[in-house]
Amino acid sequence: MTDVQRRTFLKSSAVALGATMLGVSFRASAAAPKARVLVVGGGFGGTIAAKYLRMADPAIRVTLIEKDSAFLSCAMSNEVLSGERDLKDLTFGYRGLARRGIAVVQDEIREIDPAGHFVRGASGSRYNYDKLVLSPGVSFRWDAIEGLSEEVAERFPHAWKAGPQTTKLRQQLLAMEDGGVFIIVAPPNPFRCPPGPYERAAQVAHYFQRHKPKSKILILDAKDAFSKQGLFQAGWKEHYGEMIEWVSGAAGGIVEAIDPKTGTLIGQVEEFQGQVINPIPPQKAGTLAESAGLTDASGWCPVDQRTFASARHPDIHVIGDACIAGAMPKSGYAANSQGKVCAAAIVAALNGAAAPEPSYVNTCYSLIAPEHGISVAGVYALEGDRIVDIEGAGGLSPSDADARTRAVEARFAHDWFRNITADMFT
Amino acid sequence: MRHRTRLSMLALGLTASLAASAAGVRSPSMLANTCAGCHGTNGASAGEQMPSIGGMDNGYLFSVLSDYKTGVRRSTIMGRIMKGYSDQEIWAIAAFFAEQPWVSTDRVALAGPIHVGRDIHERQCESCHEDGGREQNDDSPHMAGQWSGYLRYALEECRAIGRRCSPRKMGLRVMDLSDEEIEALARFYESEK
Repeated sequence: MTDVQRRTFLKSSAVALGATMLGVSFRASAAAPKARVLVVGGGFGGTIAAKYLRMADPAIRVTLIEKDSAFLSCAMSNEVLSGERDLKDLTFGYRGLARRGIAVVQDEIREIDPAGHFVRGASGSRYNYDKLVLSPGVSFRWDAIEGLSEEVAERFPHAWKAGPQTTKLRQQLLAMEDGGVFIIVAPPNPFRCPPGPYERAAQVAHYFQRHKPKSKILILDAKDAFSKQGLFQAGWKEHYGEMIEWVSGAAGGIVEAIDPKTGTLIGQVEEFQGQVINPIPPQKAGTLAESAGLTDASGWCPVDQRTFASARHPDIHVIGDACIAGAMPKSGYAANSQGKVCAAAIVAALNGAAAPEPSYVNTCYSLIAPEHGISVAGVYALEGDRIVDIEGAGGLSPSDADARTRAVEARFAHDWFRNITADMFT
Repeated sequence: MRHRTRLSMLALGLTASLAASAAGVRSPSMLANTCAGCHGTNGASAGEQMPSIGGMDNGYLFSVLSDYKTGVRRSTIMGRIMKGYSDQEIWAIAAFFAEQPWVSTDRVALAGPIHVGRDIHERQCESCHEDGGREQNDDSPHMAGQWSGYLRYALEECRAIGRRCSPRKMGLRVMDLSDEEIEALARFYESEK
């Protein structure tokens, strides 16, 4: 470590311990910082926005505020359900970001004052900003399925935010008798991780095949089509025969209610019963975005897709699952890409330059079996005021790929996870 | 070499196009940062099959990325992604990564395979991949300290298509290597930090 690096490291460690007290002089050597940027939410989007802001302009003071002490990745959490991975492999701390000179604070932001340019946390602390970046993720529309609530989800876990919910679902699958039925209720578009429910079916089938081979998996879907559909359906059949059944919305898959006493799912046409029930609720932008008035009638946040500045308050940027980002899906890689575009736009604005021409990418892998990976990629540009797919680029793994290619893609899926988390946390 | 003419022609074209339009042009860092989600921040990969690309030769990166785009070089996902960029943008991406420092893997070397790998290297690779794969140019990548997972994959890929491997001389040299020899060779280059 050079002296400068060591000084920054020591300084930032101190800030991480007591950031709210050290608001006065973050950089010992420099005078007042050029500007203060607050990033709220330390997931796929927020960590990247904070890090790339810091990398592009060290004269900006960057503070990352996250309610949890560590990050738990939803990506790869379906492998926890199959027993291929431990939840602790999905857990990441924020020390690497602190080492980069980002003040990392653990607090839950409850209130945003756009006019006063400050936010307030559950701790009572007030944080001032020149620019605010929100990466609040999703929240659940509990009222969309009658009988479903946060309390009911304690018994019928969604496992759509990794952590205790994932562990609970895993335990229920472990406790289930052979010959049981596992039901996934898949949400309507748009929602976090479009291929997730279908990868989950494959991962649980992988577990059932080895331990409970007489069991079935039923996917009750609000939709009539889903992400990577052809690749999933072919892969399910190849590895798990008839174990997985998908019921489209049109075929009666729409679930209107759940009876919390019996776990009966009430569809439009018939009722369904299973031994393990996994209702993934319909979604909207994270609670903070909604309470701050940043959402529109859709429940998501309209933004300037060049800069991710909110259409409601221009000094607040919204990235990741919560924002409306044209052709981009609600994925971890999309949030990563948006975090970088947003950081570049903020750096430009704080330095009196025009917002740069943006470039965005999405890459998303799903694991059907340990040696069977599939992917979708998207390359995007801004056209007018909308993020659009660049024609001729991106798309799916070929439907006729050989076993070697599938195995190579499975390894790339794990490397994707290694690298995207290293991009976030180191 | 093969790509020199193409590169200089492109460089001329790029200079002209930059002069013509600044607005609407996506900067090298804007383009290249989208790669980091898979290839690591500034192209320093966290492993294993995903190669590090930061610090690689400009011309080498340009030719490989272009070959992905046209399909000359087979890939799982890179072809789909590179089709989204113009030649000028691919040049900008290559130039960005070429300017980054090379970061070798921190993986501890395995003694046995490395010895075998060094023998193969000295016998049939060294004439192009000099100094244990440290030397690089637009025909030959930086391999010393590269992830063995990627090197193994690239060598297997080349072996699978033999004479059709680009460049052809690579295909001819790896065609008869066993799995164990490929593994040893990959481990050798990985250990040459």
